[in-house]
Amino acid sequence: MKKGAPLAQILVFVIFIAAFAVLNLVTPARTFSEQENRYLAQAPKFSFSALFDGSFTESFEKYVTDQFFGRDLWVAGKARAERAAGKTENNNVFFCADDTLVERFSEPDPAQLAANIDAVNALAANTDADVYLALIPGAAAVWADRLPANADCADQLAVIDEVYSRVDAETIDIAGALQATADEYIFYRTDHHWTSLGACYASERILSAFGAQAKLPQAFAPETVTTEFYGTAWSSSGATWVAPDSIDIYVPQGGAVVKNYPHGAEEDGTLYDMSRLETKDKYSMFCGGNTPRLRVDTGNEGPHLLVLRDSYFDSELPFLLGSFSTIDVLDLRYFRTSVADFIRENDIDAVLVIYSVSNFSTDTSVFLAGR
Amino acid sequence: MVFSSLLFMFIYLPVVLAVYYVVPSKWRNVWLFIVNLVFYGWGEPVYIVLMLFSITVNYAAGLLIARLKGDGSKAKRVLVACVVVNLALLVFFKYYDFIAENLSFIPFIRPLGLTLPIGISFYTFQTMSYPIDVYRGDADVQKNYVRFGTFVALFPQLIAGPIVRYKDVANQLAFRANDREQFASGVRRFIVGLGKKVLLANNIGMLWDVYKAMPAGELTVAGAWLGIIAFSLQIYFDFSGYSDMAIGLGRMLGFEFLENFNYPYISKSITEFWRRWHISLSTWFRDYVYIPLGGNRKGLARQLLNILVVWALTGFWHGASWNFLLWGLYYAVWLTIEKLFLLKLLDKSKIISHIYALVVVIVGWALFAIDDFGDCVRYVGTMFGAGAAGFASSDVLYYLRSYGPSLVVMIFACTPLGALAMKKLPRRAAAIAVPVLILIVLVISTAYLVDGTYNPFLYFRF
Repeated sequence: MKKGAPLAQILVFVIFIAAFAVLNLVTPARTFSEQENRYLAQAPKFSFSALFDGSFTESFEKYVTDQFFGRDLWVAGKARAERAAGKTENNNVFFCADDTLVERFSEPDPAQLAANIDAVNALAANTDADVYLALIPGAAAVWADRLPANADCADQLAVIDEVYSRVDAETIDIAGALQATADEYIFYRTDHHWTSLGACYASERILSAFGAQAKLPQAFAPETVTTEFYGTAWSSSGATWVAPDSIDIYVPQGGAVVKNYPHGAEEDGTLYDMSRLETKDKYSMFCGGNTPRLRVDTGNEGPHLLVLRDSYFDSELPFLLGSFSTIDVLDLRYFRTSVADFIRENDIDAVLVIYSVSNFSTDTSVFLAGR
Repeated sequence: MVFSSLLFMFIYLPVVLAVYYVVPSKWRNVWLFIVNLVFYGWGEPVYIVLMLFSITVNYAAGLLIARLKGDGSKAKRVLVACVVVNLALLVFFKYYDFIAENLSFIPFIRPLGLTLPIGISFYTFQTMSYPIDVYRGDADVQKNYVRFGTFVALFPQLIAGPIVRYKDVANQLAFRANDREQFASGVRRFIVGLGKKVLLANNIGMLWDVYKAMPAGELTVAGAWLGIIAFSLQIYFDFSGYSDMAIGLGRMLGFEFLENFNYPYISKSITEFWRRWHISLSTWFRDYVYIPLGGNRKGLARQLLNILVVWALTGFWHGASWNFLLWGLYYAVWLTIEKLFLLKLLDKSKIISHIYALVVVIVGWALFAIDDFGDCVRYVGTMFGAGAAGFASSDVLYYLRSYGPSLVVMIFACTPLGALAMKKLPRRAAAIAVPVLILIVLVISTAYLVDGTYNPFLYFRF
């Protein structure tokens, strides 16, 4: 081999590792990754106890990985490399037809599912109020035709059938409403949530269970509040080639009065927190994001409804205002006191338990519904 | 610490290389001695004490054996004592819990749940070779503690081999040249290993994880084969990738280690497979167990017994679990059959013998990869149709399509064709192509490490 050849090989290698070693050292640490929608690990504090129990070295490696120079580009590059290698998924997100990203649904743990079914049954036994259960299938089920051929993804509709056959509550067929309108923009293409349009179609099934009439989408004048929404599937997949979603508001807040209890005490709440549109997690615009408890006094006639729910309900809530006088909304991940007491003290007429299939099969706080 | 991590590649390695080439050569071993301990202690700092103890005992034993050389029986007693100490440490840290679990009917015998010191099986074997070689007169005594410690804890091969025998590197501990071509070949070798580990092994490992986790009732015949073929590729590229990185890093520091893998999957018999797979381990067992037991010099019956002993030990060396013992015995059986008559028959057809060897090895990996005996039997049964949920299902189609291009690349990479093609390349083309390939592998591997959602270390039980 010529003399020049080995030197070029050495230089490529040495310069590459030295350059990134220096760049990592001189660039300041970032706290939050907009692209990945999560906080990044910071330099761990050194202590001998942390060194000897192994936590220091572990945190240090996370820190090096999270703060690697140009991290976002590397992450996106890896997703592109996977796609180029013929993969149709990355980090459990499928690359689907129609510029869509869909998170994989895995076979639920039967024990967790059974525990959550028991919780709903315990709730129905605990209270005189009518209990309704609505499970929301995700895009993996409703948009199954967009998935890669033969995609390895568990069946959410089968989970719904199983749960519905085992609960003592009145069940609401959300899946039917979404499947009937599957060719419309009812899920975000980059996020696991449904769009306001999807929530609107679902409201027809929910309200008819309560004997009320829903409005069709054509009856609203939707307002597009952003066209720059990059959701969680976009973040975890690294599929930066997928275009952003838009978020629409269908129902104006009108006379509804929203109270929020983020830390226990009552504060003014809102159906739409526009300031959230400036952040990465734009879906949290609905109701201002996660909170233990919301109360909405709708200004309308009707029963007092209690909702036990996950974040899908944030965009469903506006469609229910017309049919209830008051709606109390609890997130059991944060609201940790007795639901039975809450029902008694607040004179609740009906309880709606509404979860995505994915959360209902994995969430470990649903058992609180039965307490 | 593992090589295929950002910490190693972008902090540890640049610092080690920079200081190594800046300080005067007499300080280089001291520097290596220090950074070896940092590398070793990164996960479990307490075990640095164990490492220093191991170095000291073997260093002292070497001195004693050399001094007592005139008196054979005394030297032998020192050697035996030293080997016992080495094996006692290995047995205690690696096998105590396994023994305790299997003898739990005896009161007061309880598993301790200690973390296995990383690489203990590799460095114990490596260290033990030293007093044995000195006793046999195959190596000179090492009077310099730092040099000896540098050998024992040398980070390139510390945690996943190859198992370097003292006599093979004795001279290099005293003198290592600065050779540009050697450094460049080290870079090339490291990059080959990095690509194998990060781009091939981690990639196909995800496919094995899918099938390993699949409930027995859903697994089909084709799915079971696809899964275990994925594991066969993962373990080869992972393990040989580590060896390549070790050999490459060794060369960057002026060491030459022996080869550890030689395209094992092109073998046409099991006898040949074990001459190509984890060569440093088979060589170690040959030199320090099989030949001392009499090898093939004491008649066929004794030779077959020796094979059985060596392969039981080889299996058990891979982990404190019954399935590894079973895996070793499985190979003892095949090697015996080949020795008795099969080897002669296999010479008749290259294609059939190649298929035979691959099938035996792949089925063997199922015994290796699944440590629960019931699960293992069910999995192998499914491969041959017993209890399978049909021949194939849609998941096999999906994963064949997803991993198809990767599988083709990996099967090609199991053969020497790629290396041959590189050799055939005209000089001028190579002068451009090699640095470009190095850069490409570096860039893509870095991307996979930065998004490091899947980067397992497979040798935590070794």
